Amino acid sequence: MAAVTAAQPRSSKTESYVDNKRKEDIRQANINAARSVADAVRTSLGPKGMDKMISTASGEVIITNDGATILNKMEVLQPAAKMLVELSKSQDAAAGDGTTTVVVIAGALLKQCLSLLSHGIHPTVISDSLHKASTKAVDVLTAMAVPLELSDRESLIKSASTSLNSKVVSQYSTLLAPLAVDSVLSVVDPAKPDMVDLRDIKIVKRLGGTVDDTQLIKGLVFDKKASHAAGGPTRMENAKIAVIQFQISPPKTDIEQSIVVSDYTQMDRILKEERNYILGMIKKIKATGCNVLLIQKSILRDAVTDLSLHYLAKAKIMVIKDVERDDIEFITKTLNCLPIANIEHFRAEKLGHADLVEEVSIGDAKIVKVTGIKDMGRTTTVLVRGSNQLVIDEAERSLHDALCVVRCLVSKRFLIAGGGAPEIELSRQLGAWSKVLHGMEGYCVRSFAEALEVIPYTLAENAGLNPIAIVTELRNRHAQGEINAGINVRKGQITNILEENVVQPLLVSTSAITLATECVRMILKIDDIVNVR
Amino acid sequence: MAIEKIFKDDASEEKGERARMASFVGAIAITDLVKTTLGPKGMDKILQSTGRGHGVTVTNDGATILKSLHIDNPAAKVLIDISKVQDDEVGDGTTSVVVLAGELLREAEKLVAAKIHPMTIISGYRMAAECARNALLQRVVDNKENAEKFKSDLMKIARTTLSSKILSQDKEHFAQLAVDAVMRLKGSTNLEAIQIIKKPGGSLMDSFLDEGFILDKKIGLGQPKRIENAKILVANTAMDTDKVKIYGARVRVDSMSKVAEIEGAEKEKMREKVQKIIAHGINCFVNRQLIYNFPEELFADAGVLAIEHADFDGIERLALVTGGEIASTFDNPESVKIGHCKLIEEIMIGEDKLIHFSGVEMGQACTIVLRGASHHVLDEAERSLHDALCVLSQTVNDTRVLLGGGWPEMVMAKEVDELARKTPGKKSHAIEAFSRALVAIPTIIADNAGLDSADLVAQLRAAHHKEGCNAGIDVISGSVGDMAELGISESFKVKQAVLLSATEAAEMILRVDEIITCAPRQREDRM
Repeated sequence: MAAVTAAQPRSSKTESYVDNKRKEDIRQANINAARSVADAVRTSLGPKGMDKMISTASGEVIITNDGATILNKMEVLQPAAKMLVELSKSQDAAAGDGTTTVVVIAGALLKQCLSLLSHGIHPTVISDSLHKASTKAVDVLTAMAVPLELSDRESLIKSASTSLNSKVVSQYSTLLAPLAVDSVLSVVDPAKPDMVDLRDIKIVKRLGGTVDDTQLIKGLVFDKKASHAAGGPTRMENAKIAVIQFQISPPKTDIEQSIVVSDYTQMDRILKEERNYILGMIKKIKATGCNVLLIQKSILRDAVTDLSLHYLAKAKIMVIKDVERDDIEFITKTLNCLPIANIEHFRAEKLGHADLVEEVSIGDAKIVKVTGIKDMGRTTTVLVRGSNQLVIDEAERSLHDALCVVRCLVSKRFLIAGGGAPEIELSRQLGAWSKVLHGMEGYCVRSFAEALEVIPYTLAENAGLNPIAIVTELRNRHAQGEINAGINVRKGQITNILEENVVQPLLVSTSAITLATECVRMILKIDDIVNVR
Repeated sequence: MAIEKIFKDDASEEKGERARMASFVGAIAITDLVKTTLGPKGMDKILQSTGRGHGVTVTNDGATILKSLHIDNPAAKVLIDISKVQDDEVGDGTTSVVVLAGELLREAEKLVAAKIHPMTIISGYRMAAECARNALLQRVVDNKENAEKFKSDLMKIARTTLSSKILSQDKEHFAQLAVDAVMRLKGSTNLEAIQIIKKPGGSLMDSFLDEGFILDKKIGLGQPKRIENAKILVANTAMDTDKVKIYGARVRVDSMSKVAEIEGAEKEKMREKVQKIIAHGINCFVNRQLIYNFPEELFADAGVLAIEHADFDGIERLALVTGGEIASTFDNPESVKIGHCKLIEEIMIGEDKLIHFSGVEMGQACTIVLRGASHHVLDEAERSLHDALCVLSQTVNDTRVLLGGGWPEMVMAKEVDELARKTPGKKSHAIEAFSRALVAIPTIIADNAGLDSADLVAQLRAAHHKEGCNAGIDVISGSVGDMAELGISESFKVKQAVLLSATEAAEMILRVDEIITCAPRQREDRM
C-alpha cells in the first residue's frame, strides 16, 4: 500500500542536506495565522451569532455579521491569513452566502492537519486524502438534498429566511425573504432559466423610516429628486419617457471657442439667440409627446441650465437630471426604450411609456418613482429603508446574501437542511467510510470527518447551549437514521430541522466544503515564504 | 613596495578559491530553494512581494519563483538566466534545469576540493553530456507516422507536465484541453492564437475550451446581440470629432447661432465618419478607443454591432483570428481588409457577460476559459496550462518522446558510468560525478514525495542494469514502476534542453576564478 511507505519519515540517507526544521516552522506559522483568522469570525456564525464592529482607517464604523465583509476589512498581512480572506471572497462570488461557514470549516480542517502533520504524515498525502474526502462529501450532500421547483415559492422563502435569520435584520426576515424571492423570480429569463444576473436587481438605499418600510418596486426608482427649478411638474400620468444623452444648454464645440462681442446690440442678440436655440430644442422634444426627460450627466458641459429648466417647466416636461452613464443600460432595459444621443434623432418610437412618474418624499428626502411601465424589461428595484446608515448598509448586505441564496436555488434546484444537520451527517458517513479505507488515507479522512463537527459545535456554542451535550446528542440521533435532525437554536434543542423550515441551498454547502478543502490543500503544500520584489 | 589601488572605491575583488566558493555557495543555495518544488509531490512557495500592496503569489513554477527573487550572487544569477531561457525555449523543465546545474556544481565542488583542476572537470562534464545525450537519442520513441499513437503520446506528456502542478487533480480534463488546443494549431508554435481567459468562480473542472474568440467587453446599447455571418471591421480610431490638434487653436465667432452651427458641423463630421464606416458593408465594428454616445446611437440605428474600448491585445488578436486588419482611416473601403466570422453572440460566464465570436476565419484560434476558486488558483492554473501548451507545441514539431519519472536520468547515468569506466585519467572522476548529479534528480523527486529515496534509487539502478528496462519512480504508489505502462512521458526536446543548458551553465560557473564587483553607480542626490 502506498501510504505505508509514505509514512516513513524523510531519512537522512541522502547526501543532500535537508533543512526540515525551517519548513515545519513555516507550515506551522501559516496554519496558526490562518486559524487565528478563522477564530476571529467564529463567533458570528449562526442565528445567535454576534456581530463585529469594525472601525476602518478612515474613521468609518461598520457593524456586520457577514463573514466576507469582516474579513475584507481586517487588512491582514500574513500571506496564509490572506488566503483565508480570499477564500471567503470566493464563497461570496460562488454562492453569496456561507462566507463565515467556509472560513470556520477551513480553520477546523487546519487544526486537524496540524495534528496529522505532527504524526509525521506527508503533507501531500494529507492533501490528496482531503481531496478525496471532499469529493465524497459532495456526493453525500447531493444524496441528502431535496429537489425543488421554482414554482414552490414557500420553500424559496424558507431558505431565504434561513440566511436572513443570522443577520442583524433577522426580525424582518418575514418581510425581506419574500421580497428577495419575488425580485429574483421576476428577473429570471424564461429563455435562460438557469441564469440570474443580480445586476438586474437594483438596490436603492434611503435613510429614514425603518427596515419595515423596505419595499419591492415594480418599476424604477431614482435616488434623486425631480428638478424643481421654475416649478416644473413633479407628477406625470401617462408618462412618455425619453432618456437623452445630449445636453439642453447653449451650444459648445469641441474646439475651443469664444464669442466676440463688439457692441451692445450684439449682446442682446446673443442672449436672444441662446433663448431661441434652447426653445427650438424643447419644441422638438415636446413635438414627440415626451413629457418626462431623463438627462445623462455630462462632464463636458452643463446638462441643463436654469434657462432650459425654465422652458422645460413651461412645456410641462418633468426633468430628472444627472443620471449616471452606468445606469443608462439598466434604465433603458427597464423602460424598454432607447437612449437618444442627438436632438435630430428624437423620435416618438424611442420613448418609453409608463402609467405614472411621480416624486414621493420619504423621510426628509425625495425620490422619483416610475410605475406601471409598459413592456417592462426583466428588472426590479428594491428600496431599502433604515433608521441609520449602519442599519441600511447591513440590511443591504443581508438582502444581497438572501438574493444570492435564491439565485443559487435557481441555478441548482436542490435544498438541504440547515442547523448543522448536513455537517453532522457528513461527519457520520465519512467516519464510516474512513473505516473501509486503508492506511494513511483512512486516518486523514477520519480527521476530515471530525473537523466538520465544528459547525454544529460552534452553532451551539454561539447560542449559549452546551456544545458537547448538543453535538453528542446530534450524533446519536443521526446514528439512529434521523438525517435531518439539527440544532433548533430558538428552542435550544434538537429537532427535525426540515420541519422547522430551516433550509439552505445545496450549492452553498457544497461550495463551502470544496472551497475550504481547496484552500487548506493550498496552504498545506506551501513549504516556504520567499520575499520578492 | 606598496601596491597602488587598482580599483575604485567600493569595488571589490575576490580571487581563486574564495571566488569559486562564492559561486558554489550561491548556486547551491538557489538550487536548494527550488528543489522542493520538483516532481508531482513537490511543494509550493508563497512569494510575498515587499513592494506596494504586499501581493501574494502561490506557485510551483521554478521560473516564476526564480524570476522574482532578489539576488546579488553572480553565480545564482546565471542559474536564474538559464531557467528563464528554458522557459522561453521550451516552457517546461525550468526547475529541473536549475536543480541539475546545482547538482553538477555540488559535485564539482567536491572534485575541486580533491585538487582536480576545473578544466579537467569541465572536459569530463562535456564528454559525459555528449554521452548522455547519445544515450537518450538511442532510446527515443518517435510516433510521428502514427497519428493515433502520437495523440496518445501528447496526452501522456500533458498529463505528466500537469501532474506536478496545481491542476494535478483534474489533469485528465486539462490534458485534454491542452492537447485539443495544440492540435488546432496544426504544427505552428504560435501560442498567440490560444487565448486564456480567467474568470473567478466555479471550480477548475468547469474550465473549458472554446473554438473561436471571446472578448471581455459589452455590446453597445440598443444594438443587435446576435449576428450571423458577421463582417467585422477592427479599428483603432478616435470616434469623437477629428479635432485640430494644434495647441491654442480656437474659433472666434460673434453669435450664438454660429456656435450652434459649428457644433452641428462637428456632429456632421462624426456622422460622416460613421457613415463611411458603415459603407464598408460591415455589421460589426470593434474599436480600441471609446465610441461616444452619438456614434453609438448611429450604429444602433444602422443595426451595426459596435464594441468600444477593446484592449490593445484584444483587438490585435481579434484582427488576427478573424483575418481582418486594424484600420484607422476609412476613405478607401476597398483597401481595408474586413474580418469574418459565422456568429457573434453574447454569452454569460459566471456573473459576467462576454462577446463570443465563433466560426472565425483562422481555424487554429481557440479560447480556453479558466474557472477557479480564487485569483491565486487562476493565476497558478494559467502558468501551469501555459507550460503544458508550450511543451505540447514543441512536441508537435519535434515528435521524439521519452519516458518520465526519473527514467531518462537513470538511462543517462548508466551510460555515463560506463563511459567513466572506459576513460583513463582524472577525467573519469568528473564523468562519474556527472552521473551522480543525474541520479540526484530521481532522488529529489522521491524525497519530495516523502519516500525513502536511498532505497528507491538503489532499486531503480538495479532495475536499469537490465537492457531495455522501463523502470522509473511511481510517486503515487511509492515504488519502482513501469513508466510505459503508467503512461508517464516527457518530451525529448525538454530533456535535451535541460541537459545541455545545465551543463553549459555549470561549466561557465566553474571557469570563474575571480569575481570583480564594480562600485555601485553613484546616484545623484535629487533631494
